[in-house]
Amino acid sequence: MIRGAWGRDPLLPRAFSLLAVGPGGTADILAKTVGRGTALLERALPGAEVDVLGPLGSNFPEPQADTTDLLVAGGVGLPPLYMQAAVAADRRQVARSEMIYGGRGGDDLVLLREMEAMGLNLFLTTENGAVGTKGLVTKALEARLEHHRGTPIRVMGCGPNAMLWAVARLARDKGVPCFISLEEQMACGIGVCLGCAIPARSRPYRYVCSNGPVFDAADVLDVEVTAAPVAPAACPA
Amino acid sequence: MSAVNLAIETGGIAFRNPILTASGTFGYGREFEGLTDLRALGGLVTKGISPKPRFGNATPRICETASGMLNSIGLENVGVEGFERDKLPYLRECGTRVLVNFFGATFDEYVDCGARLDALDGVDGLEMNVSCPNIKAGGIEFGTDPRVLRDLVRACRAAIRKPLWIKLTPNTSDIVALAVACAEGGADGLSIINTITGMAIDARTRRPKIATIFGGLSGPAIKPIALRMVYQVRRAGVSLPISGIGGIQDATDAIEFFLAGASTVQVGTQSFVDPDASGRIVRDLEARLAADGIHDVRELVGALVVK
Ligand SMILES: Cc1cc2nc3c(=O)[nH]c(=O)nc-3n(C[C@H](O)[C@H](O)[C@H](O)COP(=O)(O)OP(=O)(O)OC[C@H]3O[C@@H](n4cnc5c(N)ncnc54)[C@H](O)[C@@H]3O)c2cc1C
Ligand SMILES: Cc1cc2nc3c(=O)[nH]c(=O)nc-3n(C[C@H](O)[C@H](O)[C@H](O)COP(=O)(O)O)c2cc1C
Ligand code: FES
Repeated sequence: MIRGAWGRDPLLPRAFSLLAVGPGGTADILAKTVGRGTALLERALPGAEVDVLGPLGSNFPEPQADTTDLLVAGGVGLPPLYMQAAVAADRRQVARSEMIYGGRGGDDLVLLREMEAMGLNLFLTTENGAVGTKGLVTKALEARLEHHRGTPIRVMGCGPNAMLWAVARLARDKGVPCFISLEEQMACGIGVCLGCAIPARSRPYRYVCSNGPVFDAADVLDVEVTAAPVAPAACPA
Repeated sequence: MSAVNLAIETGGIAFRNPILTASGTFGYGREFEGLTDLRALGGLVTKGISPKPRFGNATPRICETASGMLNSIGLENVGVEGFERDKLPYLRECGTRVLVNFFGATFDEYVDCGARLDALDGVDGLEMNVSCPNIKAGGIEFGTDPRVLRDLVRACRAAIRKPLWIKLTPNTSDIVALAVACAEGGADGLSIINTITGMAIDARTRRPKIATIFGGLSGPAIKPIALRMVYQVRRAGVSLPISGIGGIQDATDAIEFFLAGASTVQVGTQSFVDPDASGRIVRDLEARLAADGIHDVRELVGALVVK
């Protein structure tokens, strides 16, 4: 969770994924400007102070020597998968990972040279066809799942939730384990406000900040909320 | 020994200092381990507890608003048993006063919940949340009708020996009548205020921003309303001590509440902005009083100057 000296408005810190952790306690994030908080971050000058609470939450499962990981990133969902690939590269296992990375247009795809330098196999898609294959990441994922059929693979996704649900359904239909890093509105980031709930099979609700953001897709995909609260649902607070 | 006294005994409880944390914004304390020093706080108020666990409302449950936020968590909590088993052992050792916030869906549930919590070792006091819909009365909040409120407080009072504070809802046109009802019912203190019912709309999608359409507004946006209500109750001469709540971000905000008549304050939404907010307020309050030559925080309570 990150917040600058913004006064009273916007009030709450913003959630970001770590892109890379450098020496001496430095860290990189990749932020897309979508509203006021991110605009303020974009405008922040070098040396400006920000409050950082973290690192928080769960990671993708560790790379495994005998398993191919299909990393599926949508736009600014790249950071945790970039980090995952970097870990694999450090362990000289990058050949066991491939990155399927999509965006609306070519400008949405960043850090391509860095990922190539890791030796990562890249499959790029854009909705307008400017870079890579034209279409959505799910189309490219389908092709890669087909390519690896019969070998041990896992899917790991991060991006807009709608994309993640499509990715998770695809993986489920092919019987492939899948992990997704979800987004929800957040206030505290530490499991206290209970604002970032998502319906889950293992419990009526799990929290994106403290149980996630990375979830086993089987626990959170297409969950019907059946558990009725004890009192009427419209109780505020 | 510091030159400034922050200690205060109020509402039946002796506090190290008057800075508490507000229900629903501080979990069950443990979540803040390593982020703030619980031993430096006056006390903490737990998430609201009901007799049975509750799973809470549909999502999305929160959204940011101008200098504040809306929430409709749905009073999700671990229930009395879960609280005793999983949360209380930590709280017993946490080194600060523990008030347990509680509620029910019916009169009987309130009394049952309050009595069971009252019996637990390690609970210093109870704070009753009356901003819940009364199913039998068509879903109107228990805390908005002075007679219902008085009877509810009286029934709980009879079952509870520990200090009992009532957390008033601001969703009323007459906060004083509610405060008087609590005094008549035998309460030991008042917490003023809970969240204010509000709404936010996404103009692009034409949908409400939270699933329950309405939610509780909190944060700096509500501070003027909270101050007004604390002051109104104080000015009316209601005998109960007040814990002031609403948009408190720093020591100055806390002092404003003391001046309006609160003897303790609770830090809510600000703990999301800065998990050490309450600790910082304690430190800043002490420094501020020392700098101003005020030896005892109690001098500030109700010291508003109105010409
Ligand atoms: C676990 C997690 C990791 C994230 N990682 C990154 C990242 O690495 N890089 C990045 O650019 N963004 C990331 N985000 C999204 C980022 O938090 C939001 O874009 C940011 O909070 C928007 O703030 P704003 O003030 O600019 O926009 P606002 O004006 O607040 O809102 C603009 C839009 O962003 C959405 N939004 C606002 N707050 C949140 C929130 N807390 N979570 C999700 N959506 C929100 C709103 O619904 C709206 O559509 C992440 C979100 C989560 C939950
Ligand atoms: C996410 C959230 C959850 C809350 N849960 C409870 C609760 O369980 N019981 C209760 O009495 N008040 C609850 N409150 C209200 C707060 O304790 C407090 O009265 C209110 O937020 C106003 O203070 P603030 O502006 O400092 O946040 C909750 C508030 C928030 C923001
Ligand atoms: S953001 Fe508060 S519980 Fe997850």
